[in-house]
Amino acid sequence: MARALAAALLPWVVLVGLWELAAWRGWMTTTLFPPPSSFIKFAIDSDFRVGFGKEGMTIPAAILASAFRVVAGLFLGFIAAVATGILVSMSRIASASLLPIVRGLAPIAPIAWIPVGIIAFGIGNPTAIFVVFTAVFFLLTLSTVAAVQSVDARLIKTARTFGASRPQVWAWVIFPAVLPQVFTMLRINFFAAWMAVLAAEMVGLKNGVGMIVILGREMFNPNLIMLGICIIGVTGYAVDALLLLVQRKVLWWKPE
Amino acid sequence: MSSLVVANVRKTWSGAKGLSVEAIRDASLQVSSGEFVAILGPSGCGKSTLLELCAGLEPISGGFISIDGQEVRGPNPKAVMVFQEHSLFPWLDVEANVGFGLKMRNTGTNERWRRVREVLERVKLVKFARHYPHQLSGGMKQRVAIARALVGNPEFMLMDEPFAALDFQTRVLMQQFLLEVWAGFRSTILFVTHQIDEAILLADRVVVMSAAPGRVLEEVRIALPRPRSMIDPDFNGYRVRLTSHMEREVMRAAEVL
Repeated sequence: MARALAAALLPWVVLVGLWELAAWRGWMTTTLFPPPSSFIKFAIDSDFRVGFGKEGMTIPAAILASAFRVVAGLFLGFIAAVATGILVSMSRIASASLLPIVRGLAPIAPIAWIPVGIIAFGIGNPTAIFVVFTAVFFLLTLSTVAAVQSVDARLIKTARTFGASRPQVWAWVIFPAVLPQVFTMLRINFFAAWMAVLAAEMVGLKNGVGMIVILGREMFNPNLIMLGICIIGVTGYAVDALLLLVQRKVLWWKPE
Repeated sequence: MSSLVVANVRKTWSGAKGLSVEAIRDASLQVSSGEFVAILGPSGCGKSTLLELCAGLEPISGGFISIDGQEVRGPNPKAVMVFQEHSLFPWLDVEANVGFGLKMRNTGTNERWRRVREVLERVKLVKFARHYPHQLSGGMKQRVAIARALVGNPEFMLMDEPFAALDFQTRVLMQQFLLEVWAGFRSTILFVTHQIDEAILLADRVVVMSAAPGRVLEEVRIALPRPRSMIDPDFNGYRVRLTSHMEREVMRAAEVL
C-alpha cells in the first residue's frame, strides 16, 4: 500500500522538482507560468479565498460545490439509466419506441446541454447536476440494455428452475447481474461528466473549481489559473478514487 | 411412488427465417422414485434439452411429460435442475445461494435459514456459509449448487453434465459425493453426461441417446454392486457395449454436420 502510494507520487515529485528548478534558473517566465511554490504561497496568503464581493468564495467550498455536483449527477444518472435500461429491455414496444431516441441523444456533447439547463433550471446546482446527468444517462441506458442481453442464460434458467417468476428474475438476477458492468461504464464516462461540470461552472454558474480558473483569467492572475488547474486535477482524481472504491467494495462481482 | 414419464416427446427449435431445428424426435423414458438414471449421448444430441423439458423450462413441441401423473407445464418444485459450473449467483454468498429457491417461493426467513443450515451441515459446507462463489474451488461450487437443489426437497434432481468442467481428481470426489447425497437424501436423479465411465459408475440405468435429432436408442441396466470400481472386469463389459453405441452415434453426428 505504502509502496504503491510512493510509486504513484514519485513521478509527480520529479515533475514538480523540474518545474521549480526551471522557474528558479529562469528557464521559463514565472510571471506567466508560476511554479507550485508560488501559487501555493498565493493560496495561503489569500487565506484560501478567491474572488471579490459576490464572486468571492473559499477554495474548500468551491471544491465541495463541484464535487457535490458531479457526484449527485452521476448518482442520479446511474439510477435513472439502470431503471430505464431495464424497463426498456422488459418490453419490445418500449425498446422499439425509446431506444432510437436514446441513441439519437447519446452523441450530444454534455456541454451543449448547458444553455438548455440554464434556461430550464436557472443558474445553480440543478443546472450543473442536469449537465452531468445528460453526460452519463443516455450512454449508461444503452450500456444497461447491452448488459441485460449479455446476462448468462444459465443464471436465468437456474432462477426459473427454483421457481422465480418473471418479475423475480428481473429483480433478483438480471438487476444485480448488470450493475457492475454499468458502473464500469459510469467510471469510464466520469471524466466527460467532470469536464462538463467545469464548463458549466466557467460559463454560467460562477462558482465551484471551474470558476477559479476563469477568475484567474479575468484578473490576469497566473497564480490563480495554475492553482485552479491543480485543484481540478486533484479533485477529479479524488472523485475517481471514490468511484473505484465503490466498484471494489460494493459492486465487485463479475460474471464467472 | 413418484415417477417421471416422458412419452413420445418432440422438440423443435424455430430459428430465424422460418428455419427450424429438430432437437428431439420421439423420446420416451420413465424414471421412478429413488432411481439414478444417466442419459448418455454425443454432444449436441439434445440430452440437455430433454432435461430442460422435464424441468419445465421449455415447452415441448409434441408428446407428453408428467411428474406423478401431472403434466409438466412450467418450472416445478418437484423437479429442479443442476447446471454445469458457473450457475451460482456471484453476488450472493453460499448461504444466500442455497436459500435462493426458498426465497423465491416466499418461505419465511426463519424457516429458510433453518433449512439452509440443515442442508449445509449435511453436505459439510457450514464453514463456507459466508464465502462467495469466487472464493470457492470448482468442486466446492458444484457442492453448493447441489445443496441449493436439495434444500427444497425435490423428488427429482435433473443434472446437466454437472461435473464436466472439473478436473479428473475433483470429478472423482464429486461423483462419490453425489452417490452419498443420493443415498442420504433418497432423491431421484436424472443425470446427463457424455462420459461413458461416469454413466456406468453412477447410474442404475443408462439411457443411450442417438445423434441429433435425439431419440432413445437403448436402455442398459447396470447390474454392478456399489461401490463400483472402474477396474472391475464387469465394468469393462459395460464400457465396451456403451462405447460401441457412442462411436456409431458420434460418427453419425459428424456426417450430419
